[in-house]
Amino acid sequence: MEKYFDVSYLWEAFPVLLPFLKVTFLVVGVSVLLGTGFGILLTMAKVGSSKILRKLANGYTTVLRCTPSIILLFLVYYGVPAIGAQFGLDLNQVDKIVFVITAFTLQFAAIMSEVVRSAYESIDKGQYEAGVSVGLSAFQVYRRIIVPQALVVAIPNFGNALIALFQEGALAYTIGLIDVVGKAELIIASNYDTHALEVYLALAVIYWVLSILIEQFFLKIEKVVGKGKRSMQTV
Amino acid sequence: MAEGLNISFLWEAFFIALSGVPITLLVTIVALVIALPTGFILALSRFYRIPLLRQIASVYISFVRGTPIIVQIFIIYSSIPLMLDILFKKYNIGINIYEIHPIWYAFIVFSFNTTAILIEVFRSALQSIDQGQYEAAQSIGLTSVQAYRRIIIPQLLVVAMPNLCTATVNLIKATSLGYAFSLQEITLRTKVAANMNYNYIEAYLAIFIVYLLLCSAVEYGFKVYENRLARYQLRMA
Amino acid sequence: MLEVSDVHKSFGENDVLKGVHIQVDKGDVVVILGPSGSGKTTLLRCINFLEKADRGKLALHDTSLPLNTASKKEIHKVRQSVAFVFQNYNLFHHKTALENVTEGLIIGRKVAKKEAEKIGREALTKVGLSDKYDAFPNQLSGGQQQRVGIARAVALSPDIILFDEPTSALDPELVDEVLGVMKNIAEEGTTMIVVTHEMSFAKDVANKVIFMDGGVVVEEGTAEEIFKKPKKERTRQFLRRVLPEEYIYSI
Repeated sequence: MEKYFDVSYLWEAFPVLLPFLKVTFLVVGVSVLLGTGFGILLTMAKVGSSKILRKLANGYTTVLRCTPSIILLFLVYYGVPAIGAQFGLDLNQVDKIVFVITAFTLQFAAIMSEVVRSAYESIDKGQYEAGVSVGLSAFQVYRRIIVPQALVVAIPNFGNALIALFQEGALAYTIGLIDVVGKAELIIASNYDTHALEVYLALAVIYWVLSILIEQFFLKIEKVVGKGKRSMQTV
Repeated sequence: MAEGLNISFLWEAFFIALSGVPITLLVTIVALVIALPTGFILALSRFYRIPLLRQIASVYISFVRGTPIIVQIFIIYSSIPLMLDILFKKYNIGINIYEIHPIWYAFIVFSFNTTAILIEVFRSALQSIDQGQYEAAQSIGLTSVQAYRRIIIPQLLVVAMPNLCTATVNLIKATSLGYAFSLQEITLRTKVAANMNYNYIEAYLAIFIVYLLLCSAVEYGFKVYENRLARYQLRMA
Repeated sequence: MLEVSDVHKSFGENDVLKGVHIQVDKGDVVVILGPSGSGKTTLLRCINFLEKADRGKLALHDTSLPLNTASKKEIHKVRQSVAFVFQNYNLFHHKTALENVTEGLIIGRKVAKKEAEKIGREALTKVGLSDKYDAFPNQLSGGQQQRVGIARAVALSPDIILFDEPTSALDPELVDEVLGVMKNIAEEGTTMIVVTHEMSFAKDVANKVIFMDGGVVVEEGTAEEIFKKPKKERTRQFLRRVLPEEYIYSI
C-alpha cells in the first residue's frame, strides 16, 4: 500500500510548476496595464460633469463587483466569440489567454476606477487652489501637485488590487489555460489523481511566497514615495 | 454558430440558477455565523498582542490572503479525506469518507477563509475606536465585558460595516467555486443543465444575473442597516 | 491699484455678496472685519477667482475684467500678480518648505531653479524659518506652516497679497508669530488685503479698515475712525461684541 502523503511529490512539483509562472505573469501584467488605463477612464467619468457617463461608470463598477471571476471568465470565453460571430468574425481559434486577459482587464478596471477615485478625492481641494494661486496652470497643478499626492494614496490599494488579481488569475485554468494552476492539474492527472495534496501544497507555497513578495515590494515603494504624506488610511 | 440567444433556455436556466440560491445562502450564513465571533476574538488577540495566539493568527491571515481561494479549496478537499480516513480506520468508525456531503466541505472552506478576512476587518475597526471610549466606560463603572458590549462594539460595527459588506459579497461570489467539490449551488446546477444542449452562454448569463441580483440585494440590505446603526453620527453633525 | 465693484455672489438661495465695492491703493494694508457669514472670505476668493462671482468687475492696474466671465488666460494673468494666503495654509504636502516656496517661481514663472531657490531662501528667512528649508509641512507646527504659506506668497513678489483668516486655524499661542511676520511685510510696503478677527492687527497695522455685514460693506475708514467713532449702529454692535470694553477706550 502506498503512503498517504509523500513529500517527494511536493519537491518534484516545484521545478515543473515554476516555468508556468510565465503565463500567470503575462496574464496579470497585461491585465494590470490595460485595466489601469480603462480604470482611469472610468474614474474620469465618475468624477466628471456628465451625468450619463457617471451613471454608466458607476453601474459598470457595481455589476463587475457583483460578478464572480469564474462567471466573468466563462461569459467572456463563450460570449465574445458568439458576439464576434454575429459580425461574421470567427474568434474560435483565438488563443485562450486573450479571453483570460479580456476578462481580468474588465474586472481590474472596475477595481482600479475605485482605487483612483478614492485617491483623487482624498486630495484636499485647497491643494488645487494653492496651486493656481501661485500661478500654475490647471494642467501643471494636476501634474505636479494632485497626481503625485494621489499616487501615494493609491499605492497601497493598488498593491492590494494587484494581489487580488494575481490570485483570481488562478481561475484561468477553468477555461483550459495552462498556467501554473493548469500545469498542477496536469501533473495530478498524470499521477492518476493520486498525491494531489502534495502538488496543491506546492502551488499554495508558490502563491503564498509571491504574494508576500508583492506585498513587501509595495510597502517599500510606499515608504520611498510617502515623504511628506500624512498618515494614510487603507483597508 | 451565428444564431441568437436561446431565450427559452435562458429563462429556464434563470430558474435553475435561482434554485441554487438557498444552498449559496446557507453556506454564506453558516460561514458568517462561524467567522464573525471567531474573527472578532482573534482580532482582539492581535489588538491586545496576546502571545502565540497573535502569531498563529498572523500566519493564518497571511496564508489566506496569500493564496487563491481555489487553491485553499483544493488543499482542504484533498487533505480532509486523508486525515479522516486515518482517523476512522484507527477507531473503526464505519463512515465512508467519500459519502460525506459536500456542503460540509463548503462550511469548512468558507468559514476558514472568511474568518481570516474578518480578523483584519475587525482589527482595523478596533484601531479606529478611541481608547477614551473604553476608559470612559470604565470610569462610569462598567466591567470590560459591558464596556465592549455596550460601548465599543456598537461603534465598531458602524466602522466595520462597509468592509463586512464587501466580505459578504466576496463570500457569496466565492461560493461559485463550490463546483470543485460538487456542491450543488447556483453555478454548478446551471452548468449541468447547460451541458445537455451546449447552451453555455445562456447558462452563464442566467448565473450572472442571479449573482447580480443576490449581491445587489445584500449590498442594499447592508446600506439600510448601516444607516440605522450610524444614526448617532447624523445627530452629531 | 486694485478695485472690485458690484460684486454679487450667491450659493443657491443664499446671497453671500450683494454688490460689494472696494478699492485698494499701492502700499495699502486693508483689513476686512465682520461677523462670520458676512461674505468677507467669499469676497477675497472671488478676487482671486477661486470662487466665480455671479456679477462684478475687477480692475487691476489699467486692465479691467468681468469677474464672472473672465477667460482662463485672463484669470491666470491676475493670479500671477495677486498672491493668496489660506486659512488652513494649503501647503503642498509632498513638498519641502523650500519647494513649496519655489514651485510657483520655477513652474509658473519659469524662473531658473538656482535663482528661485535663492529667492525662496530669502523669503523663508524673512518669515524666520531659515532652519526649516527642507522640512515637510507635517514636520512643522501650524504657525510655522502658515509662515511658509506667507513666504510662498511673498516670494512671488506679487503686487498684492490676499490673506484669508490666516490665524484662525492656529492655537492661540501661535497666532502672534504669524501676525508678527505679517506686520513686518506690511512695513516693507507690501499691499495687502487681510480678512481677520484679530482686532489688534487691524488697530496697529491697517491703514484702512472695512466692516462688512450681510454681504455688503457697511462702513470703511481708518482704524481710528472705525474703532473710535463708528458711524453705523451695526458696526458699533459688532465692535461691542468682539472688543473688551477697555480696549475701545484705549484707542
